[in-house]
Amino acid sequence: MTKIEEIKATAKKLLEEGKVKYIIGYEQGTNGWLSNPVFIKKPEDVERFVWDPSCVHNLAKFLVDEKRRKSREKQPDKRPVGVIVKGCDSRAVIVLLQEKFINREDVFLLGVSCEQGGVVDDKKLAKKLGKKNAKKIELGDKDNLIITTEEGKLEFPTTELLAERCLECKANVPLIFDVLVGDKTQRPQDKPFKSLEEIEKLSPEERWNFWREQIEKCVRCYACRSACPMCYCDECVVDSINLAVAPDTSAEEKALKIRWLDKSTEKSENFVYHLVRAIHLAGRCIDCGECERVCPLDIPLRLLNKKLEKEAKLLYDYEVGCDVNQPSLVSSFKDTDPEDFIR
Amino acid sequence: MAEEFEPKIVAFLCKWCSSAGSDLAGVSRMEYPANVVPIQVMCSGSVSPLYIFSAFNKGADGVLVSGCHPGDCHYIKGNFYARRRLALVKKLLEHIGLEPQRFQVSWVSAAEGTKYTQIIKDFVKELKPLGPQTKLRREAQ
Amino acid sequence: MDKILAKKDFPQWLKKLVGSHTVYAPLPEGDIWNYKVVSDSADVNLDFLTTTVPPKGIIFPQREVFLEFQTSSGEKDETIEVKEVLPEDRPVAVFGVRPCDGKSFFLQDKVFGGDFEDPYYWKRRNLTTLVGLACSTPPSPNCFCTSVGGSPHSKEGLDILLTDLGDHYFVESLTPKGDKLIGEAKTLFPQAKPKDKKEAAGIHAEAAKKLSRQIKNLDKVPDKLKGMFDSPFWDEEAMSCLRCGICTYLCPTCHCFDLNDEVASSSPLKGKRVRTWDTCQFPDYSMHSSGHNPRPNKASRLRQRMYHKFRYFVDIHKNYQCTGCGRCVSLCPVGIDIIKVLEKVRDYGS
Repeated sequence: MTKIEEIKATAKKLLEEGKVKYIIGYEQGTNGWLSNPVFIKKPEDVERFVWDPSCVHNLAKFLVDEKRRKSREKQPDKRPVGVIVKGCDSRAVIVLLQEKFINREDVFLLGVSCEQGGVVDDKKLAKKLGKKNAKKIELGDKDNLIITTEEGKLEFPTTELLAERCLECKANVPLIFDVLVGDKTQRPQDKPFKSLEEIEKLSPEERWNFWREQIEKCVRCYACRSACPMCYCDECVVDSINLAVAPDTSAEEKALKIRWLDKSTEKSENFVYHLVRAIHLAGRCIDCGECERVCPLDIPLRLLNKKLEKEAKLLYDYEVGCDVNQPSLVSSFKDTDPEDFIR
Repeated sequence: MAEEFEPKIVAFLCKWCSSAGSDLAGVSRMEYPANVVPIQVMCSGSVSPLYIFSAFNKGADGVLVSGCHPGDCHYIKGNFYARRRLALVKKLLEHIGLEPQRFQVSWVSAAEGTKYTQIIKDFVKELKPLGPQTKLRREAQ
Repeated sequence: MDKILAKKDFPQWLKKLVGSHTVYAPLPEGDIWNYKVVSDSADVNLDFLTTTVPPKGIIFPQREVFLEFQTSSGEKDETIEVKEVLPEDRPVAVFGVRPCDGKSFFLQDKVFGGDFEDPYYWKRRNLTTLVGLACSTPPSPNCFCTSVGGSPHSKEGLDILLTDLGDHYFVESLTPKGDKLIGEAKTLFPQAKPKDKKEAAGIHAEAAKKLSRQIKNLDKVPDKLKGMFDSPFWDEEAMSCLRCGICTYLCPTCHCFDLNDEVASSSPLKGKRVRTWDTCQFPDYSMHSSGHNPRPNKASRLRQRMYHKFRYFVDIHKNYQCTGCGRCVSLCPVGIDIIKVLEKVRDYGS
């Protein structure tokens, strides 16, 4: 069976047996993106599932939504939610489990490993196609991808279209799953943290100019925060009011709530927002690349978070999102932690 | 004659060790530059990265976080957490290109009044040639 | 009078304006295009499809200072000085405005005008001349301007409309502001001939046929929406919404804003009152100070967006609050497609 058939069969069986509330997967998109997240409740609807290198979304984000929804219901359905997870998504689920944000029994994971080792970066694809539009992506036999456009089919070597993060992927095969659908595929990993090489070569002034130019573009739409599965705080630092307000919160408490950031898109405010987000993601960001993908202004956010992922590894030998029982990076310490930077 | 630039340093000092150390320096009439705005926190482990970014945002030219020596924390483990967290903050600030000399961390015990004055003297000396911090500071009002 | 402008003369026109006007034009920023201030007129050519951020940001900026306040200690007591900060007096010219974005100004004028005229918006609006560029082919695969009462050559909201005729532009001036802008470089604009006009009309007619996406019978939607407020339809549609805010920030007709005081120092009190963009898709947008939130979930917020654009605005201003530019469709990270949603609403219950 090809993977998609196996996915549909497994999903159908789960829904028929009533083991899961619904299954989150991918379906054919409309003209915006090639595939979109879909929530399938009925066994006969599994025909809508698709699986191809355009399935880029990190579906672990919807587990956060599910938790919120359950907390609002008076008599919630206690069955788990089924999710189709790629390698990177499974690491996101591991981090959520590590932090005890969700329980293992709340989620049923259908693990799938990416054929040809990754998903397609839509911006790279758009560059290759110029003014043509992609309608479908299919796998070729010789480590290449076949793109169908309105003017016919085009072929490209896979490595030219894969997202940067896929070339450095540590987990082609999901690290946690209840059912593994399809074969385990492996792509030889490029040098780890290769995307940081260029920026690390720059001098501090050059780095500043690079980041200043990028961060000045930010319109503070907060799409990066909304797309990130790890940004699940109900009350975020940047929101201007206290979301956890209750009827008995006094007026004085509300007036004295500290506002750390202004809403304006001044360079300084944008920087503080992005720095705070990066530090809150230290040891938690698994490089799913969603923040960079959704940013409408093409700000290279992966490079910010990746730097701390690298430091976590170099300084503390900490691998993000690999082991459910591992404590989080900043709430643990070792006696041997380096302190050469301290006077 | 042009006024020489006087850097403004915001120092987060832990109450049990570093703040006491700075008091000792004061009581012993040790001289050191007056560029510091001291903020007493209960423990260096309670210093959130937000405080540091906010200090730079409001115009600090340098930020110092100082706590008890490892093993001596009043709350047993606070400074161990700080050691990790502040290392990550330092790496992040360096990554975006902020001058590394602007953010410093030190261990100063309650008896180390001299060490405290030396740290401040060195800090001010390093900051003077760098000039005012403009990168993260809110625009002039 | 209709005129012609040779493409090679286009930078000359800009050069004449750059001294006295702030000139905006679409410029590439990495892989995307956005309106930026032009310093070197040689950089500009109108060979772009569409920008990511619509030109609404020029007349309704992301951040705008309304007033500045500070206390001053007089002899007897403290007084607060308040100073209004209106936009500066320099005229602005924006080039490369697609007809859908031009129509968005026509719609925004209704919001910021009417019974109460927003002085900040109108100061900028009156100082700005919008030079449109008609679409020969749809700039985006998700354009649907003809379904919402627009067209690839619509003139609403614009001051000048350019049509690309190969090596020259057909120039139609639509308002006195347009005449004035052309007048700054009179010599570059020879009179148009009847064959130019015919060619332009032909391009316009062809362009409308090339749109790949259309919504038939959209006029049924406002009435259909009346009965759907409590329907579970919205929960289904909003399941994958990330509440990111991209659809509203990049929509040329969305106009919600927030007012905040940015205090530089508390004593003496000194600060500014600032208007910034806001979005109904953020959960705290409609949060009351008691903690109650009338739109607590994504379904209600998605519903609000649809209703505002296709029912409330129609009731008040007799126009859809959508110009069919397709940005929300192309950029929604999870592919919530407004066209599909509208088609489902139209067919709901039948």
